[in-house]
Amino acid sequence: MSQDNPDIHEILTTVREFAEGVASRTQGAERYDALCAAFLMGVVQRELNLGEQQDEAQQARLQALLGCSGDLIELYRDFSARVRRGDYDHDWQPAFDFAFEQVVDKVRVTNPDHLEAEHR
Amino acid sequence: MSGAIAAALIDDIVDKLGGAVRRRYGQDARVENIAVATFGASNRTLLFDLLEGRARRRLVLRQETVKSEYSPFISTEDQYRILQVVHGHGLPVPEPVFELEAGDSLDKGFVVACVEGETLPKTLLADPVFMMARKRFAAQSGEFLARLHAIDPREFSFLESIADSQDALAAQVARYEGYGNCFPGIEVGIRWLENHRPPPRQRAFLHGEYRIGNIILGPDGIASVLDWECAHLGSVAEEFGWLCMRSWRYGRIDLPVGGMGQRDELLAAYGANGGDVPDAEELRWWEIFATLRWAVINMMQIDGHMSGERRSLPFACCGRNIAMVEYDMLMAIKGDYR
Repeated sequence: MSQDNPDIHEILTTVREFAEGVASRTQGAERYDALCAAFLMGVVQRELNLGEQQDEAQQARLQALLGCSGDLIELYRDFSARVRRGDYDHDWQPAFDFAFEQVVDKVRVTNPDHLEAEHR
Repeated sequence: MSGAIAAALIDDIVDKLGGAVRRRYGQDARVENIAVATFGASNRTLLFDLLEGRARRRLVLRQETVKSEYSPFISTEDQYRILQVVHGHGLPVPEPVFELEAGDSLDKGFVVACVEGETLPKTLLADPVFMMARKRFAAQSGEFLARLHAIDPREFSFLESIADSQDALAAQVARYEGYGNCFPGIEVGIRWLENHRPPPRQRAFLHGEYRIGNIILGPDGIASVLDWECAHLGSVAEEFGWLCMRSWRYGRIDLPVGGMGQRDELLAAYGANGGDVPDAEELRWWEIFATLRWAVINMMQIDGHMSGERRSLPFACCGRNIAMVEYDMLMAIKGDYR
């Protein structure tokens, strides 16, 4: 990873500020596109800050819940297949809680303002 | 799409539209005052004036743009037939004018009369001009939906075979699987919905996407109901679930009916106009179903972006919006949101 400035975060901030600037002086589709671009830059910044840590925590949680190991995508697929088969119908809460936490993690990256205060 | 390509495409459409009106209204018929309303989303909408002798009519051209195998939209031919039936029953929908044909070389679509008013949710929810319209919206929606649902579903027998008419939940699950995604939150939502299905109801004809954004409001209230591409047969409660979904309240979460009114006003007007009012549990199931459906529509948009078929920044955002819809869905299942 480069030690030179601007670092990744600074590059993202610079581009996001540019997109916000475009949005403030345009209208209609161009303004909407600029707002979307600024939003997506914010997503990248938050994912850089949180993504790795979230992945590790989810992997550990899923391995414990499922009793097997694997990469995160394989574990998601295994979890999903078991939920669909009804394996958790009589022990619903642990499955629901994992899915809820995973969704909260994603929203912390996408748009933390969407979350209720207790989940931010 | 670059500005130059879009401009060339519009020129081409306008040229062909001129041919289409001359074929139907004679060699002197002309097209003027073109305006682009939406371009490149799930459909393309152009406004234009049709000049026939001294008569000038403002019309709207709607063309189909989504052609995915997993498209949740019915054909434009069926949409046009629906407009004919619903307009024939005296409900406020745009008057159907003509359907595109192969000889028009304009893809599939149709032309309807233009209705004055506003559809933008942000304007409708804030502008003082629409204060009365906001107050009336819940009750007017109850009345409109009662009249719509009272039409004999046999008049729409051509919708019988579409997936949403057969089993609304199975249709969404099939589309979700078609996109090849794996979302733990969606999976839990699907299982919950499967395990808590309300008792079956007699099927009615449903608009399928009744919410602000798809309805033209004037200062006095509902002027016209647009966007019939998701129409199908099903439980009337499905219509209320979609209308009251959190995303369509645009931040005014204490006003479940489009950020404008209360469920009680909506349901009272529905009952007063002959509708069979669903109970609270049934409505809750359909509101949770609505979030699944909205998540799957967002999957369609990000799929269009990723496949290169319809690349755009808003569609790119749709992919990440899914997480917020999942959150609303799971909060509703937990009982923390309603």
